[in-house]
Amino acid sequence: MELLLNLKSQMCGLGIPLSAAFENIAKDGTGGVWSDIFLQCSNIMKAEHLDAGNAWKKSIVQNKDGLPLDQSDWEELSDFGEMLGKSDRQNQESVLNMEKEKLAALEKKAREAMETKGKLYRNMGVLSGAAVVILLI
Amino acid sequence: MVLDREDRYSLDEVLSDYLPERIKSAIKGLKREVVEELEEIRIRSGLPLMGVFAGFDRFIGRDGFLSENPQHSLIVTSQEVKDLFYLLCDHSVYAYQEDICRGFITLKGGHRAGICGTVVYEGDRIKGMRDISSVSIRLSHQLKGCARDIFKYVIRGRNDIYNTLILSPPRCGKTTVLRDLCRLISQGLGKDKFTGLRTAVIDERSELGASYRGIPQNDLGPRTDILDGCRKSEGIELVLRSMAPHVIIVDELGSPRDADAVRMAWNAGVRLIATAHAFGLEDFKERMGVGQLASGSGFERIILLGMKNGKRWTKVMDSNGRELSGFNQDTGMSDGICGMYRPGAEVIGEAHREAACTAKTYGTFT
Repeated sequence: MELLLNLKSQMCGLGIPLSAAFENIAKDGTGGVWSDIFLQCSNIMKAEHLDAGNAWKKSIVQNKDGLPLDQSDWEELSDFGEMLGKSDRQNQESVLNMEKEKLAALEKKAREAMETKGKLYRNMGVLSGAAVVILLI
Repeated sequence: MVLDREDRYSLDEVLSDYLPERIKSAIKGLKREVVEELEEIRIRSGLPLMGVFAGFDRFIGRDGFLSENPQHSLIVTSQEVKDLFYLLCDHSVYAYQEDICRGFITLKGGHRAGICGTVVYEGDRIKGMRDISSVSIRLSHQLKGCARDIFKYVIRGRNDIYNTLILSPPRCGKTTVLRDLCRLISQGLGKDKFTGLRTAVIDERSELGASYRGIPQNDLGPRTDILDGCRKSEGIELVLRSMAPHVIIVDELGSPRDADAVRMAWNAGVRLIATAHAFGLEDFKERMGVGQLASGSGFERIILLGMKNGKRWTKVMDSNGRELSGFNQDTGMSDGICGMYRPGAEVIGEAHREAACTAKTYGTFT
């Protein structure tokens, strides 16, 4: 979320072109685990003169193994850059707000999964402990 | 005279960074001597690719073959124009939205891409442009030294200059000469001859400094501050307040508001060098609003630029119209449309007369 706010301020506030904005995010530390992907995306845009959508897709394919996300998460994230850079600031702001909502939904899903799976593993732990005790008796 | 023609960001780089593949290979196919004369590349959706050279235009074929017949040329697709537009914007349209509203994008190296499409309004204001249908890439070349002969008539002693107005019809090199004068004034000629002066450039159309992301692509001298993309009338007031310049440089005076701002600069004791479209001093004096600037205690030096028999000429006059010098100058600039002669008794090239009359009628000099 902090990353998207930063991107929004660089794009809509300062009017910095995407390749430079991605590079700034990668370097100023707000990118966190995404820093490498943003840096790579910026490099691809500059070297291959690709738009953000294609550069983003290329860079996440190359970095897929480095992040703990499953296939469905990657599918959700693959079209992140699709609408970036295609219109004026006002419109880009809406695009980024939409991305923010999408990320919030993904985060919520991940938290719910964590809670469900956490409960399951806790119960499994208790049951396994009980089974060991019964066996020992 | 040895002139330093600067092509820091060459045509090759423009080609590889911006042009779609088919257009790139067509331009690469142009003969070397033709490329040297290339001034503009005109790319229009569904229409033939065209090159504007020094004084003529030709359609360009797939392999760089030049023709007057559009049937032999490369037809540009709408997708190519769209791709080109996004490349010109670095795939970041929002970052260039002010430029797009003004109708052009300044590229690396000071080259400039004019764009046309469907204009989108928000109230009375242009908000943007969509469905881009044509792009004209105008190649920039800074000619260092082209104003050297004129410079001695502009300076007054070792640390002052005359208020100077450069007049000519379109495409006679006003902006190129102004750019070099600016560089010379800012740089100076050494302590004994002329010390450089603090100079402020109001670069309304980004043609003088050709700033690309805040970095001027042309050398305007070490004592020059550039106010890029700012209207002349507002810019003059702004630099007077903030930068304390000795000299202010502006291109293409035209509106009454410009005239008021020029007077404001003079009242503040600042010298000013400006250009305007005109065929001569009398022609300029008849202009509504700005014409009076050349009378009385206004501009002290008038530089007229023109062409005769396809060769450039320059004339320097004082405010009374008394000729101080006149010479055919090897400016290093290509000589342009042949048949364009000096104003007055001589014949002015038809194309330029027509263009100038049209502009005069509608009050929009380009």
